[in-house]
Formats: sequence, structure tokens, C-alpha cells
Amino acid sequence: MSVLSVPPARLAPSRLTLPRWARALGLELKRNAVPYLLPLLAAVFYFDTIRTADGTPPVWTVRASVIDNDMLVEFSVFAAGLAAWAGSREGRRKTLDLVATTPRAVWARLSVALAGTLCWMLLAFIAGVAVLYIRTALQATWGGPPLWPVFVGVAEVTVVTVIGFTTGVLFPGRFTAPLAAIGVAALNMIGFREALGLTASSSTYALLSPSRGAPLIDSGVFSPVAPDVSIVQVMFMGGIAVALFGVLGLAPGLRQLASAGGLGSLRAVFADGDGWLPRAAAVILVACGGAAAATAFTLAGTAQPDPLAGTTTGGTVLGWTIPALHSAASDQPLPVLHDCTSGSGRQGTAGSGFQAVSGAGFQACVHPAFAFDLDAVAAALDPVGAEIAGLPGAPVRAEQVASTRGGVLAGSGISGNPPVFTYTAEQVGNMYGAFQGDPDTATSRAGFQQGLLNAFLTGPSRQAGPGPGGALDAAQQAVENGLMTAAGSPSLGTFTGMNMDGKVVTPATATAVSAAARRFAALPASARHAWLAAHLAALRAGSITLAQLP
Amino acid sequence: MNVTLADIHRSFGKNNAVDGVDLQLGAGVFGLLGPNGAGKTSLLRMLATVLPPSGGEIRLLERDPRRPAARREIRRRLGYLPQNLGYYPSFTVVEFIEYFALLKEMPSAAVPRAVAAAVERVDLGAKAKAKLRTLSGGMLRRVGIAQAIVNDPELLLLDEPTAGLDPEQRVQFRSLMRSLGEGATVVVSTHLVEDVGAACSEVALMSAGKIVFRGTPDELTARGEGHGIGDAPLERGYSAVLSAARS
Repeated sequence: MSVLSVPPARLAPSRLTLPRWARALGLELKRNAVPYLLPLLAAVFYFDTIRTADGTPPVWTVRASVIDNDMLVEFSVFAAGLAAWAGSREGRRKTLDLVATTPRAVWARLSVALAGTLCWMLLAFIAGVAVLYIRTALQATWGGPPLWPVFVGVAEVTVVTVIGFTTGVLFPGRFTAPLAAIGVAALNMIGFREALGLTASSSTYALLSPSRGAPLIDSGVFSPVAPDVSIVQVMFMGGIAVALFGVLGLAPGLRQLASAGGLGSLRAVFADGDGWLPRAAAVILVACGGAAAATAFTLAGTAQPDPLAGTTTGGTVLGWTIPALHSAASDQPLPVLHDCTSGSGRQGTAGSGFQAVSGAGFQACVHPAFAFDLDAVAAALDPVGAEIAGLPGAPVRAEQVASTRGGVLAGSGISGNPPVFTYTAEQVGNMYGAFQGDPDTATSRAGFQQGLLNAFLTGPSRQAGPGPGGALDAAQQAVENGLMTAAGSPSLGTFTGMNMDGKVVTPATATAVSAAARRFAALPASARHAWLAAHLAALRAGSITLAQLP
Repeated sequence: MNVTLADIHRSFGKNNAVDGVDLQLGAGVFGLLGPNGAGKTSLLRMLATVLPPSGGEIRLLERDPRRPAARREIRRRLGYLPQNLGYYPSFTVVEFIEYFALLKEMPSAAVPRAVAAAVERVDLGAKAKAKLRTLSGGMLRRVGIAQAIVNDPELLLLDEPTAGLDPEQRVQFRSLMRSLGEGATVVVSTHLVEDVGAACSEVALMSAGKIVFRGTPDELTARGEGHGIGDAPLERGYSAVLSAARS
């Protein structure tokens, strides 16, 4: 067909008339590189984020921490690389001259291209969060989805997309995209490492990195998580994103600056472009974004350890507050309405509060956020609770309390009248896996029982920490092992070596302890109970020897 | 006059790519000839408003391109095909041309019709939905021409437009240039003197950044009678003028 014999009627079908920017955005979305890599991103998301989340209990704050620590690393690497690829398109494909002859302002043109990548990445991120939260919602027994991690995630995906895109615009090349991705991955790793070891005496700028270590297992359960650090992170990343978006408005001149180098080319930054108004707006955005980021940086430097969040024994601070942003409302403990059972079966439901105990049934209580493990807790504690029921100092109830108290990690123990065994998810559950979503293995169960018996056998004045190797003397250890055997649990064995009190437990002593424990377990339940009633005070005082055990 | 150049200079370091060019162009097809490095592409890029001149005055479509508002208006009415056409391989023919129609700020409602017309004018209707990565070099050249004419430009700048086209396509394209030149100023930079002879009403020959000849193709042919070297009369005129300019 001759070009001059074109039938004018042979035209494209009429379409809904959209604004120019919407049609251009449609093209950018349709021909964006992100959809091609979405399957790979989805696979990484499943194998890292989802599987990591599945390994944590369905407690909202804990599950949401996976967004910052895992999901964002994956998404930011992809976002930076793909945005750099999109940003470098004009340079890579040598269309700079061609697009430069069009009246569309450079800023507007680049903004639409950036929006194409950003829309895809944010959609993917929100979809990922939705998957994570829906799975959590189906398992969680208390609380609701925290939104601040999502805001921080949106801010990080946005800022790394803008960083990648701007890098691609200014330094177009085939290696720009992988280098941008590697750079962002390195930034994440550095930020993670720095944030992980923050102590009270550290400079706290690493808090600007969204990545941090896993939170306490009951984080956000007994007291709210202060959003101070999240606010600063959003402000910091948002500020950088706004500033870089302004830089895109100066892109034509900056390209010359990048290629020519030297301060002499700086004039080009302000000479080129689409008129003084866009350039002035760009400069204002750069200034405002820079100011926001600088403010956030300064605020991060004023962070102080959050007494509610606590500190590990290694000194790592588990939560921070920013005084200028801190609200006293977030210091108020959340009302605790435990979910409890009794020895005769489950008495309450999540959020129903304590149930009155009648009779001798041992009652196990968990925070409703951990109600999914209530039966396992009861199954672990009820048998040993029955073994010591009615004895002086024997707990009538086991109750979960916050993992931190007064800024330090709390231990388990027996206190109050009637005596109550208090335990924390962090101290007991974390150690033995009772709250980690692990199957109720014999070991984790035995460990939990040991935590209760340690506290009982050492008495209120000298409670040992839970776990094997607690500072029990030989007789106490033998009684504990015997009680656990009688309760149907395997003994965790007798520790050999130097114990918490600095005493050396020899293998010979351990063998003797095992023999005594077997003898004690072989007694009828009533005989064990009667012996304990008669000798408990002496046993706790450490004046009973292995030979004196029945 | 759609193009008015007065003593235009453009230098890259110590190299004067364009050295004192004066030119006034109205409607019609204007051929720009010259050897490699003569300054044709630099002149075309200045006309396309992507390269500011180092000195001299330019007025395009009665406007001063140094003023942002005027430059934007010029660009709305401009079509440009660069010597090396960059393209986005994942775009289809229609999408690529539509993209540039949008960048040229055509009314949104007019874009589909204009894109379809441009596609048909370069005879790519059968490949309208093909990805650019699947097209041959000649087809890509036609895509480039289509994006240049999609906005029905008043000033059309074509740098080596027929490079890569087969003889039949070149014949068709010359017809297209003639029809476009009836209402617009078409500036064609080329090495192929037969394109100039067949399509251009006026021709200029550049050498070392200067215009050393300006006239009709017949006048250029006449310069070569008994002097120049080449197979065709226009080629002999071309070589004769160049020899004279260099001597």
C-alpha cells in the first residue's frame, strides 16, 4: 500500500478519553519491568517472609516485625533495581534527544515513568502485607494489625524506588540497576547490623533504619508499642524521597553536571529545564525534603531507651522513645484479660478475664494473645501442679506476665497469697519453644515444668531461673526429676559442671541424683506428697541429702 | 518564515561544528547535504531545540526557542527523527507512537486517530501491535518517521530518514515528504543525493560547519557539469561544490 493511499477510516478503535497523564501512566504500567519479576519476588517473599512469619507465634506485633526485618529487605532491593532500570531507560535506549524535542516537561515525563514503577512496587508490597496479615488474622487470638510497620514499609519502598530511579536518570547504564540493588541491600544490612546492637550508650542514628532485631515475643501485648521511632523513620525516608523527587526536576542540568563534571557545569543545573517555575518548585522540594530528613536525623539522635520495652542482659535496648514525639498514652499498660483453664478443663475464652477457681484444680492462664497455646500450657503445668497441690507455697495458678519489668527482662517465679506462678513468654516460652509455634515436644514441655518446680523447690526466698542447670542442690534436683518422671515427663537430666551458685556438680553426683530421682518417682503419689509435706522446709533450706530421700 | 537562522555558531570545545550559518526556510522540503562531520546533525539538533547555539539568533515558527514558553510551543509543532533512533523494545508500534503523541501534548481525544493515521502513513498497519524488538531496521526507521509526523508538525526535521529503507519504501517515503512539504517546513539531512533530487524543492550543502551552497537541486546539478565526479548528475554537482569549497 502506498503511503499516500491511506484509507483515513482505518483507525484505531475509539477508547475512553482519559487525561494525557493517565494514558501515559497506563503505558508505563503496561510496559513496566516489575510484572516480569513479580514471580521471582513472590517466591522470595514466600520462602523468606512467609516462612519466617510462620516460625513466629501469631502475635500481631511479632508477625508485623517480619515486615521490617525480612519483607522490606526483599522489596527494597527489587524496587531499587527495577526503578533504576526504568530511570535509566532514556539514557540506555538513547532516546534523550527524541524526548527532549517534546513539549512535555522533563519533570512531568520522568514523574509518570517513576509512578509506573512505584505503583507496581507499592501494589506488590501492599499485597504482600495483606497476605501476611490475613494469615495472621486467621491464627491470632487477640489484637489487630499494627499499621506503623506498614507505613514504614510504604515509606521505604517509596524512597528506594525514588533513589533507584534518580540514580538511573543521572547515571544511565546497563549496570546501574544491579548496582542500585546491591547498594540498597548493603544499606539494609549495615542498618540492620547497627540497629541490632544499639545500647543505651550508643549513638542512636541507626534507628533510622527500619531493620532491627526480632522484638520480644510479647511485644505490644502488655503495653502498646510507641510509634516514636516509626514516625522518625517515615519522616526521614519521606524527606529523602521528596528531596530526590525535586532533584528529578533539575534532571536535565544535573545530567550535564554528571557527564561533564566540575563546578563550572553547575550553572547548567539552573539554566536548563522547563522554565523558572518548575525549577523553583524543584529547589523548594529539595530544600523541604532535606529539612525533613535532617529533622528526623536530629530526632533519632535524641532517642532514649523505652523503660517499658526493656534491655537484654547484653545491654541491647529493646525499644526506644523519642522525647519530642513521645505520647504518655503509649506508656499506659494495656488491660490484661487472661484466658484461663482449670485442672478440670478450659474455663474461659479469649478476652473473658479470670475465672474463679473452685476446688483444688490448678489453673493455667495466658494472655489472650497467646490463647492458641493455652491448652499446651495447661497440659504441661497441670500434672506437676497436681503433684505439689496443697503443699506450702505450691502455686494454685500459673499466670503469664510481661517479659520486662522495670526496664529489664523479668524472670519466672512464685509469689503472692495464694501463691501464683508467674512466667513470661520471653523467659519460659522463648527458651523452650512453648510459644514459638513449635510442636509441644516433650523437651519444651519438660522445660516449662522445670521452670515451675525450680521456683517451688527453691522457695520464695531463693528462686532460681528456669531451665536445666538451675541452682538446685542435689536433693532438690532429685526431687524435681522424680516429680517430673511421676508427671509423665522425661527428666531433662542433671547438670554437671559449675552451677549458678558456683558449685561443681560431678558426674558421680549426677548419677546419684538420677538414682534418687528414680526411687522418689517410684513411690506412690500419696507417699511422695506426704514426704514433701513433711520435709519441704528442710528441702528448700538445703539441709536434705540424697541419702535422706525415700 | 518557519526557520530563521542568523550567524549561528555551535562549538564543542575547540571544534566549530556549525560556523556562521544563515538560513531562512518557509514551507517545502529542504535538503541538507554534506560529508560526515560537516555539521548537519548539529544544525538539525539546534533546530530541534535540544542543542542551544553557542552564538547567533534562531527563530523557529516565529518564536524564540530560548524562552521556555516559546520553546514549549515550538516543540508542540515540531517533528524530529534523529539519526540514531532510540526506542523501547517492549513497546508495540502503536504504543511507542502514542507515547510520543502524548509527550507532544496532543489533545487526548485526538491521539488514537492521529496514531492510527501515522501508522498507516508509514505503511506499518500490519505491524501495529508488534513489539519494537521484533521489527527490522527499516521498519524501526518507519516507526521513527511515524512518531515524528504523528502531531502533524509544522516543522519536521529528519536526520537520515531513508537509511535502512528498501528502494520501494524510499520511493514511498519521498512521496510522503513531498506531501508533508506542501504545508510544513521539512528539513531532511541525508547522504543520499537521489532523495534530495526526488523530494526537495531546495537544497543546501554544508562543509566544515558552513553552508557552501544553497539553491534548487537543478542548480546543484548544473554546478557539476563537466567538473564533479559521480554516477548521477546531482552527485557530480555535490562533489564539484565540495571540491570548490575545500580548495
